[in-house]
Amino acid sequence: MTDVLNSLGIEYLAINCASSYRGLHEAVINHGGNKPEIITCVHEDIAVHLAQGYAKIEGKPIAMACHGVVGLQHATMAMYNAWCDRVPVLVMGGNIMEADKRGPGAEWAHSAVDIGEIVREFTKWDDQPASLQHFAESAVRAYKIATTPPMGPVFLALDAELQENPIPDPEGLRIPKLAPVIPPQGDSGAIAEAARMLVEAQNPVIICDRLARTPAGMANLVDLAETLQCGVIDNVGRMNFPSRHPLNQSFRRGLIGHADVILAIEMNDLWGTVNAFSDRIVRRSRPATKSGAKIITLGVRDLYLKSNYQDFGRFQDVDLDIAGDGEASLPPLTEAVKRLIDGGRKAAFDARGKKLAAAHLAMVEQSKTDATIGWDSSPITTARMCAEVYAQIKDEDWSVVGTTIRLSWPHRLWDFKRPYQWNGVSGGGGVSYNLPASLGAALANKKHSRFTVAFGGDGDFMFNPGTLWTAAHHKIPMLYIVQNNRAYHQEYMYLVAMAARHGRGVDKMDIGTTLKDPNIDYATVARGMGVYGEGPITDPKDLAPALARAIAVVKTGETAVVDVVTDPR
Amino acid sequence: MNRFERIAVTAFAVTALCASGFTIAQAQDAPQGDAANGKRIYLADGCFTCHGRSGQGGAYNGPAPILAHTALPFDGFKGELRDPANDMPAYSDAVLSDKDIADIYAFVELLPGPRSSKDISILNN
Repeated sequence: MTDVLNSLGIEYLAINCASSYRGLHEAVINHGGNKPEIITCVHEDIAVHLAQGYAKIEGKPIAMACHGVVGLQHATMAMYNAWCDRVPVLVMGGNIMEADKRGPGAEWAHSAVDIGEIVREFTKWDDQPASLQHFAESAVRAYKIATTPPMGPVFLALDAELQENPIPDPEGLRIPKLAPVIPPQGDSGAIAEAARMLVEAQNPVIICDRLARTPAGMANLVDLAETLQCGVIDNVGRMNFPSRHPLNQSFRRGLIGHADVILAIEMNDLWGTVNAFSDRIVRRSRPATKSGAKIITLGVRDLYLKSNYQDFGRFQDVDLDIAGDGEASLPPLTEAVKRLIDGGRKAAFDARGKKLAAAHLAMVEQSKTDATIGWDSSPITTARMCAEVYAQIKDEDWSVVGTTIRLSWPHRLWDFKRPYQWNGVSGGGGVSYNLPASLGAALANKKHSRFTVAFGGDGDFMFNPGTLWTAAHHKIPMLYIVQNNRAYHQEYMYLVAMAARHGRGVDKMDIGTTLKDPNIDYATVARGMGVYGEGPITDPKDLAPALARAIAVVKTGETAVVDVVTDPR
Repeated sequence: MNRFERIAVTAFAVTALCASGFTIAQAQDAPQGDAANGKRIYLADGCFTCHGRSGQGGAYNGPAPILAHTALPFDGFKGELRDPANDMPAYSDAVLSDKDIADIYAFVELLPGPRSSKDISILNN
């Protein structure tokens, strides 16, 4: 089993140790020489989220192992996040298949007839190998399935007998060869039709979400956008488009309402992007697009859906639906567009691009102006917090790998331009993602000597503070900013809305939604886990010096936590 | 005028007012409000949760507008509380009286608006 994992180039095995996979654990250490390198985690949720964050930076999966049944149950929410985020993770869980081999007590409670059943609705594939040869073939198959777009987590059950007993015929075993699947390009005729529609459009707009899966993805999108001189609205599921590119119109969503042709690439929620929806007593919606606008979709997301969990979103009418990997299909689409552009069109495109560039610049200036409001206030505004962090890391080879709910200031103010400078969000909205996934991304960044920074909410932090022990134990450098608004703030707002809707008092909505009395001291928690802690920082004047001290620690190869007491959003 | 038309009109009005640099005089018939009480209500009743303690704006399901040094006339401000155009909850008279709204308006009017970003060096990286 260890040899198979190493044959796949899996660098790390994130675990919370458990008896049901003790055979594999021992084999990795002694037979494999701790390769894949074991990353010790204090909760299975941490291990899976760590793998999710790693894969989005490094572009390949790591493995995770967990206890039979109960460990897998702990892992499930993180697996759901990875599923919704279309991220490959190889999850393995122990099991004892044969009833007469189970010892009395816990081994029965930790075994199942079909252990993969509880995760089957949010994994791409699972298997329970009954022999070592079966394991080898299923592991290679699982890896291949997980890394073929649309990517996703996979699960393998590890039978204890296979892990622990002598191998009767080692010479007869063979590890299959892995030949990665080449992601499919869209049909050439459909690509040509899309190119025609885009070139003939007066106001084409590109919208995208989980598009870039390799460093080439962003360059490919820039090439298409510059060829068309059209606006790009990035839902930032990946590092798709440079934040300061003149054609980046992500904070000018009104552009969708003026578009006559919309190219939607690898969208997670297309309907939600092209429709306006009201969270009112009567939930109403209307198209955000203008009448007659044509929508082209390009992507593979819908090629692998399941029924129960509804992360696929509402059905959207489209005019041309191209099944093909977005990143792989962009070069032929761009070439097809270029072939259709004559001199007259190029002049019109250039004029369009100049208008968009001017609007982009105005948007950036407006963002800077907006950021000044409450600049010296305490609690510290989120705009100032983000500006202070950027001021001190902008000359580093930085990578932002986590953000809090609706914290858009980095994308409004910072210069994102490299493929690893952003890696998206949780996917399923499951709280507890941010801290461990950021650490996984930091683990991937470590070997490239990048400076990892992440913002995370206080509520998210408290789900998995033990992540920081893993950061200390494995000496993973990361600057982690706790945006401490002392609340589950999104829920706080929802509760205020409910009280107003019901016409009742709105002044007690902090009950059950806030994290105060006592206030949590995150810096002390961090120090207790063995990493550096600063804060709580309440005065904005204290923030820059605290960040400087924390950054100095991160540069020594460690994690530092800065607790910033902020205004809500 | 339906809700979506009002969104557009309000958005246009806010944009136009913002473009003028927040210098447009407030409506002359705005009732005299108690800004100190307005601040108390703004913080106690959760206005700050979406719009920020400094009125800097924020996010609920979508962006929550800046209120600091608001350029909205009082009637428009009150209308957005009583019958909002977007996801903002409606505040009935049972929750917020007209006097409360006038007090909140007086408070947000006094909140400092934006300043020049050029005066803050780290915003010009």
